[in-house]
Amino acid sequence: MVDPLERKADEAPRQRFLLEETDFDEVPPKYRRFYRRRKGPGDPLGPNEVVCPVCKVVIRSTRELREGDRVYCMPCMSRLVVVRADDGTLEARVAY
Amino acid sequence: MADFLSMYSIQHWLESCPQGYLAGTAYGHGPDEREPALVLENDLLREQAIGATVQLVVGERCALAASSGLVNAAPDEASKRFLATQTLDEARHVEIFSQRLLDLGVKKGEMEDTIREHANPNLVRFAEVLLEKVDRKDFVAGVVGQNIVLEGMAFSVFEMMQAAMQEVNPKFAHTLSGTIADERRHVGFGENRIGSLIAEHPEKKPEIERMQKEMSYWMLATFADRFRNLSAREEIRKLRSELSGYGSAPAKWQGADLSALEPAEMERLLADTVLKEFKTRLGRIGIEYQTPARP
Repeated sequence: MVDPLERKADEAPRQRFLLEETDFDEVPPKYRRFYRRRKGPGDPLGPNEVVCPVCKVVIRSTRELREGDRVYCMPCMSRLVVVRADDGTLEARVAY
Repeated sequence: MADFLSMYSIQHWLESCPQGYLAGTAYGHGPDEREPALVLENDLLREQAIGATVQLVVGERCALAASSGLVNAAPDEASKRFLATQTLDEARHVEIFSQRLLDLGVKKGEMEDTIREHANPNLVRFAEVLLEKVDRKDFVAGVVGQNIVLEGMAFSVFEMMQAAMQEVNPKFAHTLSGTIADERRHVGFGENRIGSLIAEHPEKKPEIERMQKEMSYWMLATFADRFRNLSAREEIRKLRSELSGYGSAPAKWQGADLSALEPAEMERLLADTVLKEFKTRLGRIGIEYQTPARP
């Protein structure tokens, strides 16, 4: 058994998130909690959030996001892959 | 590819747009919302609002002509269907901005003369560059010109206007919110569909790059006209500060407070934001951004 303290971050269980409703109304109601508008560059992103580079909406997941995850931006219909940016944060890249 | 294209369905558009954020609206805003009384009563503010709205009508008429013209040039059924929904979006934009002209007191019979009088000639040239590609049924260049250059510009312009209007003119701000939501789909289609097509047609790149450079120049010239030739600037600024809601919250856009910016600073912020977006979007689909001349 691997000592939990030595386990790599990517192997640790992912945090889970309960998504509350937002005022985002650009997709059908049942999907609305998965998106929110970003309130400017100073608006921090949670570990379960990533910005769509195409339409700038914040995509939210029920679990912590990690490199290699695939997410879908319903407002602009872009398929995205989560990657680690040079500054260490997670960002989404479009998969054409 | 089949799955990717199947996202462009009329059903998705119906659920997101008419049954979603447009439900319960009239011409894009709350049925009871009105233009601020001061804008309707003051000739200077009213004239300025008419001038700005005419540019939106001109831009949207171009988008309507382009998206409808591209339907028959699209290489697959899903793209045709998406462009059909976009055509309706653009027709709606033409209608809601024309309705705003009526709300501002332009008479129906004077609409075309008002548009002709206020339309910025640089914006008309911008539209002509795009529509020439559409007339030639050049799908790849047409979609880049329409859904990346024109829509990319509209996306930023609408966002900036919406931030500026949020407190002082909720009716117009709501009208703009719906168009911003529409633009998200349009730029998404531009990038996602062309991202794959450009890889199949690399020979199209030089022509598309020339088109982007030319359209960008006419766009910058339009911005320059709007921001540099503001007559009675101080008086307008003073009048705007008398609008209900003014100053209740900063009109924040791209980290700047729009109400505190000089016109030259606002022009620079808008131009830089749009050009930076062009560069990023075009780079993602494999097209090299061309720096336009500065008017």
